[in-house]
Amino acid sequence: MPVAHELSRAAAIVGAAESNEIGFTPERGLRITSLQHHIEAIKNVSDYTGIPISDIDGVFSAGWSSELAEHLGLRPSYIDTTSVGGCSFQIHVHHALAAIASGIIDIALVSHGEAGRSYRGGGGRGGGGRGEVSPAELATAAYGTFGAPSQYAHAMVRHMHAYGTTPEDFAHIAVVTRQWATLNPRAVMFSKETDPNGGPITVEMVQNGPMIAWPMTIAHCCMVCDHGGAVIVARPEIAMSLRTNPVWIAGAGESMGHSNMVEMADFTATSAARSSKTAYEMASMGPQDMDMAMIYDSFTITAAITAEMLGLAPRGRGHTLWKEGTAAPGGSLPINTNGGGLSFNHSGMYGMQLLVEAYRQLSQTAEDGVNGIEGKQTDSQTCIVNGTGGTLSTTGTLILEA
Amino acid sequence: MAYNKPVPRKGQHHEPFWEGAKQGKLMVPRCNDCGRVHWYPRLICPYCHSMNLRWDEASGEGRLYTYAVQHRAFGGWGEEAPYVTGFIDLAEGDRMMTVLRGVDASKPDEIQIGCKVRVEFEKVDDETYIPFWRVVEE
Repeated sequence: MPVAHELSRAAAIVGAAESNEIGFTPERGLRITSLQHHIEAIKNVSDYTGIPISDIDGVFSAGWSSELAEHLGLRPSYIDTTSVGGCSFQIHVHHALAAIASGIIDIALVSHGEAGRSYRGGGGRGGGGRGEVSPAELATAAYGTFGAPSQYAHAMVRHMHAYGTTPEDFAHIAVVTRQWATLNPRAVMFSKETDPNGGPITVEMVQNGPMIAWPMTIAHCCMVCDHGGAVIVARPEIAMSLRTNPVWIAGAGESMGHSNMVEMADFTATSAARSSKTAYEMASMGPQDMDMAMIYDSFTITAAITAEMLGLAPRGRGHTLWKEGTAAPGGSLPINTNGGGLSFNHSGMYGMQLLVEAYRQLSQTAEDGVNGIEGKQTDSQTCIVNGTGGTLSTTGTLILEA
Repeated sequence: MAYNKPVPRKGQHHEPFWEGAKQGKLMVPRCNDCGRVHWYPRLICPYCHSMNLRWDEASGEGRLYTYAVQHRAFGGWGEEAPYVTGFIDLAEGDRMMTVLRGVDASKPDEIQIGCKVRVEFEKVDDETYIPFWRVVEE
């Protein structure tokens, strides 16, 4: 056996929680703000773990950390506000692991609040000088793309060209992910009652839906709704003293390929190959050791390419995990057991949703009455979690272990 | 008809690009030390990190790397949807984005990745021309 990496299992996720109302939240006079989603989730994870908010000494969020710490009256010793899209939260856990292992802090809060639907554009907060013109504007501003789907479609077409895949191949990812959503009452697409487009779907239904950016119809694309979530990461002595089941951070890694898609070298490959390699090596594990996976599925193509990058399937064959049922309920490698960004919830940045579900699965609380019913809980002991931010730009990978 | 689509703002250090475009020339940054062309323009060579850069006229030829058909669009582009967007591998190296011309957006399966494309410029006003790429005969 290789010598264990000093960071491996140096901290655990000791609890996860969400805000009180997620999804397409009812608009009753006052809409729920991103800040409210943050604060509710933080209060809920504090109650769940029994860790007082006042014991938190590290605050991690996508651009919100100073406001959150002030709102909570905290004086943290570690402030991380990395905001690089939906993978920010995997990266926060990576950073929290390092901060705890180095002795700077004991208890890290990772928080997400994003009223992606109700207050569009209120989620991640970044830096940048006001009024400056980035030279990157020359690359894309004139060329008729509008948001993520218009960009990601180019990756699907390149994958089809390189590997002979078809839109129907990728449609299976939407269908199987929906199967998981029908086991999760908090999923937006749980049933026809929760959403007019909810309930089980078929490949034909996916392919016959409205075209967004060829070859992607609407069901190849994630939704944009509201979500808040928080996890607490703590050092082993604290993790072992709590009433909750710890989920150990066996491995972590992060990387990036580009920021702007015009700089993406190979449209069928992301930096998840590098971030997962780092994580696997830290954990002394490989793809064959994973019992399940939580993979950012902003679009069906994102999930397929990521599965390939994580080594869960050969290059060009990522979609077969879904098409052949491996990733489905009852399959040998369950993937996106909450129903994914495609059918559970996606608020603009989906990394926290990945973390919450991975924690619940490995802590055996995926049927805790809050976010699951019989059938959703797997017997997984290990889970690889991969967030992807931007336009297939930045990735954070975690290997979690019960 | 007046040009009614988004136009990149003219940032600092890119005058040669806009001046060239007025004359129908595609100007691209090249590193004087490592010789490589890069796009979009940088303050430092992204390959060798030299700051000794110049602007060169590119051949205006390239190959289609990948494409998609945009069905949801807004503003001026909304009036043209569906239309084809694509990424172009320049003959000189590196890659540009475009709205692709000379193709039928209703027949995306007929568009060939790797096909030859040539640059052309569309006028916004007397000072501003924007490059687009068109599929041409081999």
